[in-house]
Amino acid sequence: MPGLAELVTQLLNGVVLGLLYALIALGFMLILGTMELINFSHGVLFALGGYLALSLQPYVGWWGALALAPLGVGVLGLLLEFGVRRTYGKDPLFGLLFTFGAALALEEVIRIIWGPRGYTISAPAFVAGRFELGFLVYSKYRILVATLAILLLAFVWGFLEKTPYGAIIKAGAHDSEMVRALGINLGRMRNLVFALGTAMAGVAGVIAAPMWSLKPTVGAEAVMPAFIVVVIGGIGSFWGAVIGGLLLGTVSGLSNLVVPRGSILVMYLLMTVILLWRPRGLMGQKSALEL
Amino acid sequence: MRRFLERWTPPPMLGMFALFLGLPVVLPLLGYTYLGTEIMIWAIFALGYNLLLGYTGLPAFGHGAFFGVGGYLLGMSQKWWTGGLALPLLIGVVGTMLCAAVVGLFVVRKRGIYFALLTIAFGVMFWFMVFVLDTWTGGEDGLTGINRLSVLGFALRDNIPFYYFVYAFFVVSTIALWRIVSSPFGQVIRAIKQSETRARALGYDTPRYKWVVFTLTGAFAGLAGGLASLARFGAFAEPMSLHQSGNVVLMCLIGGGFASFYGPVLGVAVFLVLREVFSTLTDHWMLLYGLLFMGVILFMPEGILGLIQRVRRPTTFHDTRAAQAASGEGIPAAPPAPEQSGPR
Repeated sequence: MPGLAELVTQLLNGVVLGLLYALIALGFMLILGTMELINFSHGVLFALGGYLALSLQPYVGWWGALALAPLGVGVLGLLLEFGVRRTYGKDPLFGLLFTFGAALALEEVIRIIWGPRGYTISAPAFVAGRFELGFLVYSKYRILVATLAILLLAFVWGFLEKTPYGAIIKAGAHDSEMVRALGINLGRMRNLVFALGTAMAGVAGVIAAPMWSLKPTVGAEAVMPAFIVVVIGGIGSFWGAVIGGLLLGTVSGLSNLVVPRGSILVMYLLMTVILLWRPRGLMGQKSALEL
Repeated sequence: MRRFLERWTPPPMLGMFALFLGLPVVLPLLGYTYLGTEIMIWAIFALGYNLLLGYTGLPAFGHGAFFGVGGYLLGMSQKWWTGGLALPLLIGVVGTMLCAAVVGLFVVRKRGIYFALLTIAFGVMFWFMVFVLDTWTGGEDGLTGINRLSVLGFALRDNIPFYYFVYAFFVVSTIALWRIVSSPFGQVIRAIKQSETRARALGYDTPRYKWVVFTLTGAFAGLAGGLASLARFGAFAEPMSLHQSGNVVLMCLIGGGFASFYGPVLGVAVFLVLREVFSTLTDHWMLLYGLLFMGVILFMPEGILGLIQRVRRPTTFHDTRAAQAASGEGIPAAPPAPEQSGPR
């Protein structure tokens, strides 16, 4: 039977992981909800964020890299959108396949620039080491990750709910024709959303890198949970992504105690159960995407 | 007799069969007998998959998983359970079909990107399962030591007899699929692609039709996967991975699976030949590959055969896209083959 300290540690790990999943999933879902596009390159952009930070860090420091790397990824997303926009209004498959091609190409670009080997990234110096709280010892870096993730989630929530841009984005996802009729430049808005969503992937990549270490395929491993989070939470719901992420994180953290190698399958079990119970996900609304 | 041939094997199909029948005369000279076999195996997979993509219009994205499952089931039953060749192949096909049937239950009520998202998630689940159950599947190393054995006294170890072994399955599968798409059932799934709402309004239980199609594609994926594991003397996980699950979709698309029944075969051939060419040119063939796909989507989304069709017969006014826009469908899932509803 695992001890209490171990249980709490895994629970905390789960929450940190869950916040990170929520962050990745939210960037992914922003694009999914607004453009009805599955951005397959989300994972590789996540990885790219980590790699860019790795290269920038010696020059601009950790905080500098945290700001610049996502910016770089966002600009790349902006460029990518110019290709993606040709697929709007067609079969959703085309956008998916376009970003799939982009993911293959970008992963190879990572291999060309940084080589196929993996990198272990050490946490920045000011959060190296551990907290000691009585019976509990916990990594300081993970606490920083959790704080940053919460701040970023709050920022996105504020952007979507409290600014006119957020209102336009949500309205555009609901009825793009009406938004256009109101004289709003939907094309530019979509461009912006794509950049924002990809920048969020980049940010998640930067802060996750010291926890997961970097290799060219890390992106694929990062987006899979994000897919599950979106399915669990329901497409188009901010709180669905947050709750889904936390649920998934804690479940996989706790299952690490019981079935260490099967924690991924436990995630799928969770997804299946939730789909059986609520076919649209926890917070999903009825949409045009189903019967 | 003539009508019989028309119905079962129309002239283009006979031509294709004849081409593949004669191919082993040429291929060994170039040192590519195995490539011919691989093309037929993937063609079985892609032709089956196109039932879902091109005919029903459902963008499933996790079918690489079923390809893999077929191979593993064949391998495991040959090594530890039934032994032999025929029975493991049957187990591979039926077992994969059952997997697809179960996944199908979850996905058939969705459409568009939600459908794609769910199929991706379930596809990756099978991929993970291979690594979690590595005592049975061999995990990273793959399940090696699968034996081709022999059929009717021909040892399949040699590539030429094995080529014709696969050829037989290729012919039977193609004819079976042709009969499916030419049947009333094929009409209904094409109707679902045009407008699921309308098909429902006509009284068709569309989720059930979609489920049957999904299950059928599982069977063909299992067959192809089983044959692939025989071809490579082992079952491996990489066709199931997130990165390769898109291959079959691209194969269908490049060849023109939306425009023609034969599109997927052409697509498979182009895809695999290009892979050979690229990988001899450079180590970074994935980069070329990715850029190629992006280019195909941007400039030639209807595929090779679709492009030929468009050039030969320019778009008429009464195309389905216009009809769909007029019907006020929720998602503009316009079929890229403008002059008809589904592939012929």
